[in-house]
Amino acid sequence: MSGPAAVAPVVAPGETAQSLTERICAVTLREGARPWTPLWWWAALAVSLGLLGMGVIAVGWLFYAGLGIWGIDWPVVWGLDILNYVWWIAIASGGTFISALFFLLGVEWRTALNRLAESLTLCAALCAAIFPILHLGRPWFFYWLFPYPNTMGLWAQFRSPLVWDFFAILTYVLASILFWYFGLLPDLATLRDRAQGQGRRVFYGVLALGFRGSGRQWRHYRAVYAVMAALMAPLVVSVHSIVGMDFAGSAATGWHSTQFPPFFVFGAALSGFAVVLLAILPLRSLLGLHAYVTERHIDVLGRLFLTSSLCVGYAYVMDAFATFYGPDEADRTMFLMRVFGLYAPVYWGTIVLNIVFPQLLWWRSVRLTQPLVWLIGLGVLVGMWLERFQIIVTSLARTQLPSTWGQYTPTLWEWSLLFGTIGLFLTAFLLIVRLMPVVAMAEMRAMLRGPA
Amino acid sequence: MPSLEGLPGDERDWVRRFPHLEQALAHPLDRRRTLKLLALALAGGGLAGCDPGTPDRGFVSAVRAAPGVIPGVPNIYASAHVRDGYAHGILVTHQMGRPTKVEGNPGHPASLGATDIFAQAAIQDFYDPDRASGPLHDGMPAAWQEVTTALQAVRAPVGSVPQAASGLRILTGTVTSPTLGAAIDALLAAHPGAVWHQWDAIGRDAARQGAALAYGRPAMVIPDLRQVDVALAVDSDLLDSAPGHLRHARAFAGRRNPVQGPMNRLYAVEPTPSLTGVAADHRFVAAPAVCDEIVGRLGAAILHNAAPSGGPDWLGAVVADLRAHPGRALIHLGPDHGADAHASVHAMNEALGGRGGAFDVFEPPDYRPAQPTSTLSALMDDMENGRVRALLILDVNPVYQVPRFAAALPRVPLSVALADRPHETAQAARWHVPLAHGFEDWGDARADDGTATILQPQAMPLYGGMSAVTVLRACAGDAARSAREQVRQTWRERLASEADWRAALAAGVVPGTAAPRLDAAIATVLPPVSPAGSAALTLLLRPDPHLWDGREANNPWLQELPRPLSKTVWGNPLLIPPELARSQGLRNGDEVALSVGAHRVALPVWVQLGQASGCVVGLLGSGRRHAGATGDGVGTDLYPLRDAAGPVRIVATGRTVAVACTEHHATLVADAPSDIVRHGTLARFRQDAGFLGKMQDHPVPAAALYRRDPGAPVAWGMSIDLNACIGCNACMTACQAENNVPVVGRDEVLRQREMHWLRIDRIYEGTQSAPDTFFQPMLCMHCEQAPCETVCPVGATTHDSEGLNVMVYNRCVGTKFCSNNCPYKVRRFNYFAFAEQERRPPISRNPDVSVRARGVMEKCTFCVQRIAQARIAADRDGVAEQVVTACQAACPTQAITFGDINDPDAAVSHRKASPLTYVVLPEQGTHPRVTYEGRIRNRNPAIEL
Repeated sequence: MSGPAAVAPVVAPGETAQSLTERICAVTLREGARPWTPLWWWAALAVSLGLLGMGVIAVGWLFYAGLGIWGIDWPVVWGLDILNYVWWIAIASGGTFISALFFLLGVEWRTALNRLAESLTLCAALCAAIFPILHLGRPWFFYWLFPYPNTMGLWAQFRSPLVWDFFAILTYVLASILFWYFGLLPDLATLRDRAQGQGRRVFYGVLALGFRGSGRQWRHYRAVYAVMAALMAPLVVSVHSIVGMDFAGSAATGWHSTQFPPFFVFGAALSGFAVVLLAILPLRSLLGLHAYVTERHIDVLGRLFLTSSLCVGYAYVMDAFATFYGPDEADRTMFLMRVFGLYAPVYWGTIVLNIVFPQLLWWRSVRLTQPLVWLIGLGVLVGMWLERFQIIVTSLARTQLPSTWGQYTPTLWEWSLLFGTIGLFLTAFLLIVRLMPVVAMAEMRAMLRGPA
Repeated sequence: MPSLEGLPGDERDWVRRFPHLEQALAHPLDRRRTLKLLALALAGGGLAGCDPGTPDRGFVSAVRAAPGVIPGVPNIYASAHVRDGYAHGILVTHQMGRPTKVEGNPGHPASLGATDIFAQAAIQDFYDPDRASGPLHDGMPAAWQEVTTALQAVRAPVGSVPQAASGLRILTGTVTSPTLGAAIDALLAAHPGAVWHQWDAIGRDAARQGAALAYGRPAMVIPDLRQVDVALAVDSDLLDSAPGHLRHARAFAGRRNPVQGPMNRLYAVEPTPSLTGVAADHRFVAAPAVCDEIVGRLGAAILHNAAPSGGPDWLGAVVADLRAHPGRALIHLGPDHGADAHASVHAMNEALGGRGGAFDVFEPPDYRPAQPTSTLSALMDDMENGRVRALLILDVNPVYQVPRFAAALPRVPLSVALADRPHETAQAARWHVPLAHGFEDWGDARADDGTATILQPQAMPLYGGMSAVTVLRACAGDAARSAREQVRQTWRERLASEADWRAALAAGVVPGTAAPRLDAAIATVLPPVSPAGSAALTLLLRPDPHLWDGREANNPWLQELPRPLSKTVWGNPLLIPPELARSQGLRNGDEVALSVGAHRVALPVWVQLGQASGCVVGLLGSGRRHAGATGDGVGTDLYPLRDAAGPVRIVATGRTVAVACTEHHATLVADAPSDIVRHGTLARFRQDAGFLGKMQDHPVPAAALYRRDPGAPVAWGMSIDLNACIGCNACMTACQAENNVPVVGRDEVLRQREMHWLRIDRIYEGTQSAPDTFFQPMLCMHCEQAPCETVCPVGATTHDSEGLNVMVYNRCVGTKFCSNNCPYKVRRFNYFAFAEQERRPPISRNPDVSVRARGVMEKCTFCVQRIAQARIAADRDGVAEQVVTACQAACPTQAITFGDINDPDAAVSHRKASPLTYVVLPEQGTHPRVTYEGRIRNRNPAIEL
């Protein structure tokens, strides 16, 4: 890295291992002068729980009444269900990129972000994981996708991308949980040791799994963490590739494209960085993390963000090129419908929000104007949602036979489910922010002591 | 129900209606007595659920099966489906004694093994839960004994009215039944002065009168399309609904595939597209007045051997073509044109020399052709003047169809409606006697060519009911005589021996009953064709192709059957031509106020391509008030406009109504020939028979990666001949009946969730005002490389060794990925428990086909249950399997061929070897087992396109 960013510090001057540990523990334990949980947290939790409640009702009614309560129909059999799934799983990528990939690359600025980013990943992956089950006509048989021994002698059908998807998601969610939790162990031990109340000591003590900081434990810890990071980094690529293959593996118009796996990885990176920015900017002030999440971080995230946006832009161009380069008339018709037809605003919204607005990040002054960056990030989240809408809905609405063309209008229940999962995401994230250390203290301490 | 007014609160009135109530109320009620009565009611309720048994039908213990009933083995009995008097022979399939499916009777001349949608849907009519459950008197339940008494009162003179003017009137539809006719005659003979009126809401009176005018006596002119080389159909319904239309369609289609034999040529001129017009080689659009004018010009040319003067520029070429085929040319005119035009057409046909070949003239099959003095309007005149004392309305619904009749009916002191349900007429009449369904009692009827069929009852009456014959006998005081005895009596002479009688029952045809040829000569002097007045806007009121005159409004299969051209369901939007839509700024679903003179109704519009400008089409039969829970209030009743006079106007109301349509997007008109429906001209075919196969842009990719295993010795395949398909929807209804395909209702169709396994795509090419129209039946292609199979994560859809793409409902978890991946989109998903929500009783379903639950995918199985039955039969008898799918069996034109493609001698193999054969979406590499034969049209090179 060159330029002014290279010289900006990743930690504010004057911070020591001691001051860091105290500040982060204070945020979580709140046993000092201000023992109350701040009002903003309660307010945010109330809103999140409200949304979550709406989602619970939407799921309950879905199970009782059936898929018919949604707006999906004969030609467009996948709608907001799959759309939300793809959207959430893409959001879940950010944490893994920052935490695992940049760990392996030895990037120093990742350390302050990785805990929050991983937590975001975890919450988003949970939200994503419920949609493949909810979208089934008979969700109570979801386990049939799993190749378990059974008296019927039936097995999953391994040619189906949905089976790969089932494994990919399951692996990704499990690995994310493990990676996040394993990385937490030293910090949980710190909290256990510093907590005053008996209840807190027991709570953090149980979670710390007896981590005492012995040399042997540290050796094992570092080895396992590195191995898990090495596993997670390809996993984030594989899971998004397989989500891409859910579409590319089918023969449907507009889906049948070999570029989908990398295309979906690009999209995942973009939405992952967007959601990290969205979370980190307000939390930095709310939790008083200015010393550890500095302008350097925001600048770097802005550059990564811009890079992923350019990658996604490349994929869009290639999508258009392949459509017209290829022989399929139906593909061309569908693409023109996508760009100029009923759902044209969705397409152009995608382009503007995902590609055009992020170009502002070329300017360092924009990258350091936090409200603007936050808005661009929000725009990309909306834009990525729109992108999935045009991939899924426009393709299914304009298939090979004109007699089967149709359209799709989501119902209130599908929207409630989307906002319900946003509620689930926020609730889980707020709980993590409140109960767990928001910065990886052990790693930060190591960095602060450092070789220097 | 005017007689019910003032009922609430009038206790004495209640008591008068229920004499038992008076007795009960006379005793003071105490707790003990109340409890006793409650217990009795409970016990009685249980008893009432039992079959009462009738004197002549004793109980049979079910411990031993009834003779001939083997569980799992269907029984088949011949009968007939009667519509507007004319019979189509059918075979009714019974499962354990209950009718579940209707097939055509191959031995019947009006069926030839095929059925129309009405016969297929008769199962739903039979099991309709809204059928009348008992007699009503002034809207109150009455006992059957009271009905008998009331019917006998028909005979009794009232007060001073002399016997000679007894004032008894009988109103029926067209009657071809000899037994019913004899019963009517017997009643008429016993009541001098009684009059029998025959009337159909959708009548063919003009055609009858035209034939009478032309031949000087009642006559039935029946075309024989097998012997017609060139035909001109003027606003014709020859292939749609004319008497004998199934036979005409078969004969027409038999001459349409140039690989099978020489083609005929059909010209059509019509104001609004019909199946006949779409099937034509040349279709010309003309307003009805112009059609009449064309008939006049044709007459002037053909009868006087001159070239046509004036008229459209194609007329000369058509006349020349007709003349060039003497003895093998035919003109057919639809029923909505005047008797004079019909007479003129008959004269032209005689002049073209086709008699004895292209057409012939027969004795009409009607029991007694309707007389001009006994029309419905004559009856209504008498009713209004109080000259009608007693009126028997037998299975017609004039109160719904004729507003004037509804107004006059209260003036008849004793009106008895025999009706299958408490419909509009049954509710307005003093007495409603439930009509036994055609499957429930004995009867007989004739086909258009006179061939008689004896209708045998197919089941015990579900709700109780009387047939028309029994009612007439009861009026004569002879209620004891059963319908069976009367039918037997009718045919005693012809079928003297019991063996003959049984043979006729089994065959479904009484041998030797076809009408004799008439040698009546054509009249030399005919009235000139009176030109119809032309108006700025013409309203054509046509029968609904599926609800007909409204009688099928409560039939969910027919309500949800997409109309052939507009694909609309559950409602009858006003069909407007594209020019009118443009000039008035109207779009599909915009509501308009349609007024004729002072009468005005509001209904949505639907743009019908290929309809004459200045001509709007309303479909009769919707907007029923008392059809039943399914049909009430669906669509708009247009009958009040039929008898109204005055200028036609439409004015947009500014509102929009959601119109359910199974084509879920704006109507598309391709400007270039598509690869999906391949077509060409006969001239091109003669140059290069295989030209359709070369239309392919991209070569079919070879499936090199995967082995295409031929598997078992049998490989099922299908070939669909687009030359033969006329888009009549019989296959769709047959598929629905055979495979327990659920009906989803209007709201779910609006949400694009209809469930038909087999649909008929309608494809337009060319211009909006006169498009080329094609029909293409689309069902599961049973691809050898099925894209649906590879994406199912649980293997719920797999291939069997015989090439069937089978769907395992129990294994399906409902990911719906298979539907995404199906290029033909023939898979349907149960978004709700559609089958459970249907109103039909479970016993009406085909027990050989699973009823699908909520959340599973379903699709065409190539009638795998029929394959299984055929295999059992083949194993038992040691012969090759003979499988006929439901759609194939119903098809009037034999457009569908099914069989073993491994067998080079099978009909399907021959069809697939045709140079016209092609695959839809070949570039998908799916290798479908369903192939199509492209459509060839025999264009007249003399006519500029």
